[in-house]
Amino acid sequence: MKKRVTNRTEPNWTALEHFLREGIASTEYGDPREELGRAPDAEDREVARELVRAAATFDIEEIGTESLHPEAVRHPSVRPLPEGAADPSFLGRLSATGTGDMSVDQIDDVPTILAVLRAGSRKQRRAALERLGERLRERRGVPNEALRAATQTITELRDVELGHELARLRAELPGAPGRKARSEDERWKRLAAETKEAVRSFWDGLLDVEPIHVLPGDQRALLLMRTPELPAMVLHHINAIIEGSDGCVPRESRVGLLASLRYATDRRLVPALVAVIESARGELLAEAARVLGGIDDPRAHPALVERFERSIVSEERVALAGALGLHGDCRGLPEVRSLLQQEQPSSILHALEAMESLGSSENSELVVRFLDHSDIGIAVQAVRTLARISDGRVLDELGERYNTTSVPALRAAIEDALSAIAARMELRGEEVAEIDWSEVGNKPAPRKKGARDSLPAIVLGWRDYFMGRLWLLLGRINWAVARFESAARRRAGWVVPLIGIGMAFARGEQYALALPAFRRAIELDRPRIERNPILVRAMAKSFLHRAEQVEREGRDDIARGLVGEVLTLDLRRAPGTVRFELKRKHDVLGKPEHDDVHSAA
Amino acid sequence: MSTRLRDAAIRHLRAQGAVSPEGLVHRLTMDIEVDGRVEMVTLSLRDGELQCVSSDGQNDGRHVICALEWVAGLEQRADSLQPGVEAVIGRRSLEPPQQSELADALDELLIAVTRVGIDKARYAPSVDAALEGVVEVAAEPTPPGLGRFIGRLRQEVLSGQPRRAARILEGAARLADALRVESRTEASEERIRAWLGARPGSVPELELLYDRTMVEVAREWLAGTTRASVERRYLIDLTAGAIYREDRPSQATASLGPCPRQIHVGLAEVEPGPAPQRIRVLQYEVRPEVSAESWERLHQIARRSFAQLTETYRRAVQIYPTLAEPFALIAPYRIEHDDGFIAIDSEGHRLALERTERRGSVLAFYELLNEGIEPTWLAGRLTDAGSTLCISPFAFATRNHDYTRL
Repeated sequence: MKKRVTNRTEPNWTALEHFLREGIASTEYGDPREELGRAPDAEDREVARELVRAAATFDIEEIGTESLHPEAVRHPSVRPLPEGAADPSFLGRLSATGTGDMSVDQIDDVPTILAVLRAGSRKQRRAALERLGERLRERRGVPNEALRAATQTITELRDVELGHELARLRAELPGAPGRKARSEDERWKRLAAETKEAVRSFWDGLLDVEPIHVLPGDQRALLLMRTPELPAMVLHHINAIIEGSDGCVPRESRVGLLASLRYATDRRLVPALVAVIESARGELLAEAARVLGGIDDPRAHPALVERFERSIVSEERVALAGALGLHGDCRGLPEVRSLLQQEQPSSILHALEAMESLGSSENSELVVRFLDHSDIGIAVQAVRTLARISDGRVLDELGERYNTTSVPALRAAIEDALSAIAARMELRGEEVAEIDWSEVGNKPAPRKKGARDSLPAIVLGWRDYFMGRLWLLLGRINWAVARFESAARRRAGWVVPLIGIGMAFARGEQYALALPAFRRAIELDRPRIERNPILVRAMAKSFLHRAEQVEREGRDDIARGLVGEVLTLDLRRAPGTVRFELKRKHDVLGKPEHDDVHSAA
Repeated sequence: MSTRLRDAAIRHLRAQGAVSPEGLVHRLTMDIEVDGRVEMVTLSLRDGELQCVSSDGQNDGRHVICALEWVAGLEQRADSLQPGVEAVIGRRSLEPPQQSELADALDELLIAVTRVGIDKARYAPSVDAALEGVVEVAAEPTPPGLGRFIGRLRQEVLSGQPRRAARILEGAARLADALRVESRTEASEERIRAWLGARPGSVPELELLYDRTMVEVAREWLAGTTRASVERRYLIDLTAGAIYREDRPSQATASLGPCPRQIHVGLAEVEPGPAPQRIRVLQYEVRPEVSAESWERLHQIARRSFAQLTETYRRAVQIYPTLAEPFALIAPYRIEHDDGFIAIDSEGHRLALERTERRGSVLAFYELLNEGIEPTWLAGRLTDAGSTLCISPFAFATRNHDYTRL
């Protein structure tokens, strides 16, 4: 039974709603005073009070569960599709999720999948890797040559963004690559189990420090690379840090953790990330947006849009625009373009990053401008952006830079970009650009070794070297180093003993001592180190851990210099986690170094 | 307990809450011995109210009085304060706002909105000015109830919901009435306390909870005078099945831990007021993993009758049309989601999904339902759309206790 509260018996709800919507000055539905049973000269205050009282009373009494109001049943049951795809080509329309007319999981041809793996967006590449795994498991109808190419690609792929998926797939491979991957897998499981115990101790009050924060950078990157496999308790703990409800982690470390999660795909992170997007500001928000952009979840897009529409800070808007671009929403493109046109030093790097997901061939000319930027970090990012845009018109520009640059990191990035662009052209049905590396690769000649060493010098050099190895086996590092130094003195330009010194100190975790040896070795024969996965890993980790040490001492400038120095090298053969952590640290420590970029080259 | 003593303690705590390089003082905890018995006494200023409690559960016992006397004694030594410091807690005047001014400001706001209508209110300078007027005459920082009123009103005006906006304005009108009434009744006092906090010198009737196990099932950021000004956590008492809210204003602290979490509450205070009742967790232990028994218990205490739920909801919004934001844990008999989500109880009553807010969560929930997930319980904030009770989904769990936060 409905109870009515006005002086009149039955106020007309339609009229009340109209007065609420249009205001009490509206007379279309009659006089509100009359409708509410008030005197014609009643004050607005009295009419307003009566109106909201009557409306609220009526509304509350109507609430029920017997019937469903049509308004309550309407629902957004499917995700809205992003507005018109910018790229109408095969790759532009290729869906990663299987919802469109063309999706990666419908492709059977292995070379096509491999091309998508090189040229696609992050989501497409993930889907392509997944599909490649399926094809390898099926094997039926897959030519042996294609199988070999697929196995080789999986083994050699250095895509940091696909770290988790690659690790899973490599563990399924037969032979040495599979064994190595399974061994890595075991290492990760041990690390995850240790972290879980540490997290339990932390919340029990037995541990003073936050356990993930204190992990060495590469270990943290390794742990967080596989977030979907982390136990629920560790994930909840990470969410607590992200939301700032752990009680001890400072804001800078929260930013650092979010940066470490850049390529995480775990949906369990989404509520905490959305909370940060709603409530945080500045760098914290920007990092959360970058993570959320890469997670395929329906909660991500509405949260990013809502924040983008109300944010006024350039740093936040660029990150949000890039994240929206990853979800196929290009509303931030004009702003990112404008920032690049203005060439504001503080925003170039992040604007170029955002352009990776937002840009089309219309923007390639704008990005090409930054290939010659004095900051190597920006130049490398410009190359990466061009690789994602994949406009065939920039091949000549990239080839020219490849011939002229002396920075190994830039050359490596250009090599990857040229492959990606060629793959994209293939997928678009365009004439595939044949890249003749022998012509393009006008590489600087390796440093000339000194005059040919005399036979006694060679013999004595090897003797000293083997003695050094022997002392190393016996654990006498100082004696071993003395022998290696002696061998290096006997034969100028001989890099082997220098590598021995660097490796000995790196294994002993004496990174400060390892660096000079690695620097001398790089000066003598850089390609030898860059092409050897073991050497490049030891060298990169030495730089990273030394940077962490000096950073802990508060000497951020020196740490920044070390990270900037090693990032000028071709690190493609270093582990993805180390490369990722170096890049993250480089970003965290601030602007890249300008002065010492050639010191490691 | 003497009001003078409390006021002296408040003044001293305000001064201790000053901005200084050493940081802010939010809470003082002391071990006080009286007649050979030692109890821990906690004094804190929250939202301008002095909260006193001793570890024996008294908030006006001899240990508390002794602690207040000690603090008041410190306050009398004026030279202990550093000159020139600005009190953070003290920035908020604990004096009640000029109550008639606030009542007038609320009336002005009501008139401004109803004159232009909800559809045009978002663009109306008169409404903006009236809102600013309310904030100006209120104490600084804005009391949480008043802040939430402003946040909700802005949200409903933006979304063009006349019914809900009317309800929110009705709550404000009732507050204005309570502020103007000359002889205060218990109901008017409680209303004012829910909106503006306790008046200086008054002792709010707090319920004390001891040794309870609670599970936090959800949290969200809510708008106040600014967007995302309060983080609200929803805690469920596994013994009584009661649902509490723990509000953490931005830049402030509350209990620690992730969501979900299981906390063993040694001591907590519960304020009377709008649903869900506000809890302040004073002593607790937190576990980041919730035990299977606790998940099972949550399933047991989840509401199964939607008719009763509707009645509870209706009663809550009748008493506090503005501030009541009931939260519920439901265990539907079955769920239909082919043509829109409908939860159905064993009596055939139906509950729809709120779709206008937390749209991403609704979409994620639908995707999971379409993937075949079968929730055994669903936690969410109750609301209504077109006279139908709805739930805004925050979290759910499946039969094997797989919890998902939305």
